[in-house]
Amino acid sequence: MHIPENYLSPSTCILATVAMAPVWRAAARHLREEVPGEKVPLIGVAAAFSFLAMMFNVPLPGGTTGHAVCGTLIAILFGPWSAVLAISVALAIQAVFFGDGGILSLGANCLNMAFALPFVGHAVYSAVRRAIGGERGELLGAGIGSYVGLNAAALLCALEFGVQPLLFHDASGAALYCPYPLSVSVPAMMVGHLSVAGLAEAGLTVGILAFLRSAAPSFGIETRADSPAGLAPVLGLVLALVAASPLGLLATGDAWGEWGVEDLAGMVGYTPAGLGSGWEWGSLMPDYAVGVLPEWIGYIVSAIVGVTLLVIVFRLASPIARPRVDFDA
Amino acid sequence: MALVDTMAPAPTDIPDWLASPERYQPVSDRDGFISRSILAISSVLARFRLDDGQASPLSPSATVKVVLCLSCILLTSLSRNYLFVMIMLAGTLVRACLLPRGALGRVVAGAGASAGLALVIMLPAVALGQAHSALLLTTKALVSTGVTLITTLTTPAADLTRALRVMGVPGVAILTMDLTLRSIVRLGETASEALAALRLRSVGRNADKAASLGGVGGVVLVKAGRSAQETYDAMRCRAFDGEYHVGGREARRGADVAWMLALAAIVALFLHLQGTV
Repeated sequence: MHIPENYLSPSTCILATVAMAPVWRAAARHLREEVPGEKVPLIGVAAAFSFLAMMFNVPLPGGTTGHAVCGTLIAILFGPWSAVLAISVALAIQAVFFGDGGILSLGANCLNMAFALPFVGHAVYSAVRRAIGGERGELLGAGIGSYVGLNAAALLCALEFGVQPLLFHDASGAALYCPYPLSVSVPAMMVGHLSVAGLAEAGLTVGILAFLRSAAPSFGIETRADSPAGLAPVLGLVLALVAASPLGLLATGDAWGEWGVEDLAGMVGYTPAGLGSGWEWGSLMPDYAVGVLPEWIGYIVSAIVGVTLLVIVFRLASPIARPRVDFDA
Repeated sequence: MALVDTMAPAPTDIPDWLASPERYQPVSDRDGFISRSILAISSVLARFRLDDGQASPLSPSATVKVVLCLSCILLTSLSRNYLFVMIMLAGTLVRACLLPRGALGRVVAGAGASAGLALVIMLPAVALGQAHSALLLTTKALVSTGVTLITTLTTPAADLTRALRVMGVPGVAILTMDLTLRSIVRLGETASEALAALRLRSVGRNADKAASLGGVGGVVLVKAGRSAQETYDAMRCRAFDGEYHVGGREARRGADVAWMLALAAIVALFLHLQGTV
């Protein structure tokens, strides 16, 4: 679901970034006003869940791959506005350091995964919770919400891909950017996400949420009684996910819409002009790949770099939250 | 009354130039080179102060830490393999994550500034299609500065001096380094004050402002010399004879062996990866 460089026209990228600008601004305001300062670093840890979840590729029908995002999980724990910032920073790190998703298309990727996904997922979760109370309602809401949220993001992504050949083509009708129209992109994206990736997102969200509620109840924006172990189980879970990140290598093949230019040219019979001549960022470890060492080492190094950067960013961001005094305590 | 009468000038005595209303508006001037470039460099230098180093329980002894720091910087600089640089970056980030927030902020600010400077210098390479080289050099700057700052922030200044002496660094070199690092914050402040004075004194457009930078540099140099002389005199008064005498053996810490093994692994990885792209 990470739209690479040059698959969207520059005007589409600018439009998506302009659309995201007020969202980022509002998210920063909500973070400053609603999240206690001591909880802000925990959003970095939650963002690490998202970063790692996006490294776990699962095979999808049709020979492509997909991944979870855990956006609804962060929205449940810290609110949807915090999820916007957490996933946006994770996507930016993936784009700059690992070439996963484009720099120019970062706004579009954030629109899909950092904005639509957590808000849709959280809305469905809230509706289910209102209907069904208790722990069962929370987990059921998290499962259904995350499934719907991921598919909403996938649909948005498919629409962005699909409108490109309609809007941007040369005199002969050849597409300048993504060559697949809506009739191809929507079914291709949605079949895989409705059948497998959505279930993976729901399973990961429910599993992590159930674990956090029992092992580290204070991990979230709400003030809850902490377990004797404190946040140690959360850090243990992050380390376990880092160690397990090479499992994402088991799914071979590219995700739909994330092919290299040569591969795409082989599939459609020509190289779209915008794709062949577009600007591309030379990241240090493209697709988490390494030179001579086994790929799993590159995956673990990437996971460590990504997780630590996220934790550092949100630890340093904690002073922007306004200090709050709880007079009821 | 007679005195008042003689002091008060007649209205007709006011000269024209004094009677005309004052409408002087200073021409706006640019001083970005002072407020941004020079002051930014001074403030970055000030972050290198060695005054609040605190060793963590898992830290090695100061000598081992200095050896590790220098080795990491050397190997990162020499490496032609980006994977090695990324592994060093991962290690540096993990250690930085565990620092207290204040120290983490100083490491990020210092290392980020040096990496940003490296990226700006390498921007032409990005324009020429060599973004990878620019990123590699930027990451190297990030790792080297980060490792240096982490070492200084996690080691008390006296332990650093002792570690250098144990490693056989000549006393004069240690003295010079000590005096330089200790007075660098004061020099940064002096530079800031002199530049602020220069900015306040310049009313209106002053094309000659940049030429005064030499004067600012001179003031800083004089202050530096005086500050170093005063510190040295104080040390002489306390019987400093130019030699750093290390009393007794440095206490070995249990973590030393583990850290030296880690260094050996890093060197082996460096040798294995060197020559591969």
